[in-house]
Amino acid sequence: MNDSQKLREDRLVFYEQDIEEFVKVLAELISMSNAKAALLIDKEGHMVAREGTVRSFDTDSLSALVAGSFAATREMAHMLGEDEFSVMFHQGQKDNIQLTLVDDRTILTIIFDDQTQLGMIRLYTQEAVKQLQSVFEQKAARKDSEPGVDLDHDFTTAGKAQLDDVFGS
Amino acid sequence: MSIVNTRDKTINTKVVYYGPGLGGKTTSLKYIHSVLDPEETVRMVSLKTDEERTLFFDFLPIDLGVLGGYKVKIQGFTVPGQVKYNLTRKYVLMGADAVVFVADSSEERRAENIQSLKNLGENLAANGLNIEEIPLVFQFNKRDLADAMPIEDMEADLNAARLPAFATNGLTGEGVFDAFVRVTEAMVDGVAKKYQLESPDGDIAQITRERLRHLTSIPK
Repeated sequence: MNDSQKLREDRLVFYEQDIEEFVKVLAELISMSNAKAALLIDKEGHMVAREGTVRSFDTDSLSALVAGSFAATREMAHMLGEDEFSVMFHQGQKDNIQLTLVDDRTILTIIFDDQTQLGMIRLYTQEAVKQLQSVFEQKAARKDSEPGVDLDHDFTTAGKAQLDDVFGS
Repeated sequence: MSIVNTRDKTINTKVVYYGPGLGGKTTSLKYIHSVLDPEETVRMVSLKTDEERTLFFDFLPIDLGVLGGYKVKIQGFTVPGQVKYNLTRKYVLMGADAVVFVADSSEERRAENIQSLKNLGENLAANGLNIEEIPLVFQFNKRDLADAMPIEDMEADLNAARLPAFATNGLTGEGVFDAFVRVTEAMVDGVAKKYQLESPDGDIAQITRERLRHLTSIPK
């Protein structure tokens, strides 16, 4: 496996510790900026972490649309000779949404209403992005030295009862 | 590419419906939606033109339930089939874990099927994926058409590797769910191997198949 493949593989598993760090940053962002919700979304459209009030059944679709929206915007940027637009903002009657690129694969999505102001959102988002980047750097550095969580263990120890619950048998 | 979250115990995966324009990709995903979620508790998102053509993608989140401690979620996507939307197709394929290729059985669409399959290979490669490795199944769709090509001819055109192929009719749903079950089994099996997951309850692909069959047997 070459370096780029390894990097790709490393990014696919988010361990408990990483998610806790992400959620901590998102919670602080919401608290400081008075936003409604914040989500961390992978460019492939998968949600990585979320905090705040979002109807849970909407988050999967929202994640896919955010990632799609960012992909479309990237092409617009290329046409103008830019590598990427790092921030996108959509304004609604009540709710607004801002998307900010964290690193090459992740998008910070923040949902807010008139209880706060765009300036506040921008200010605290910048700070949150720096913190999230730092968590990603730590995660990347840690991979070589720690084995991480044994997924196999978690998987095999799950009881049959759990499967029966889902099957309803 | 599947994403594993060990805190929330979830594995997120992505299945993409690919193929030539007007071949039945959206109709197939709509059928899967009607089978798995007849009451439409989850909305299928469609980014389409005023003429009902897919502009960007259709998206259907599917909850496969818990497999040995991990909640497995599938993102069902379609791509726009029209030739001009290649950038969009390339984007939607990013991180795909499995592909259903929906070919149009009409004799008139023969060249477009072949071209679209070639395009799939190129776009997978552009995303660092390999058409020979990714779980792939075929739907030979619109079997009800008067000018439907013989299955053997379609196999010869498109399926040299003799991958699973299903004669389907997107409107009645015939064969569509079977193709979805087959590709999901292969994908879950691949994910299980990749992360060295094993279930004490038996073969994961088989559990997946039973799970999906069970979901469809619930009285509507």
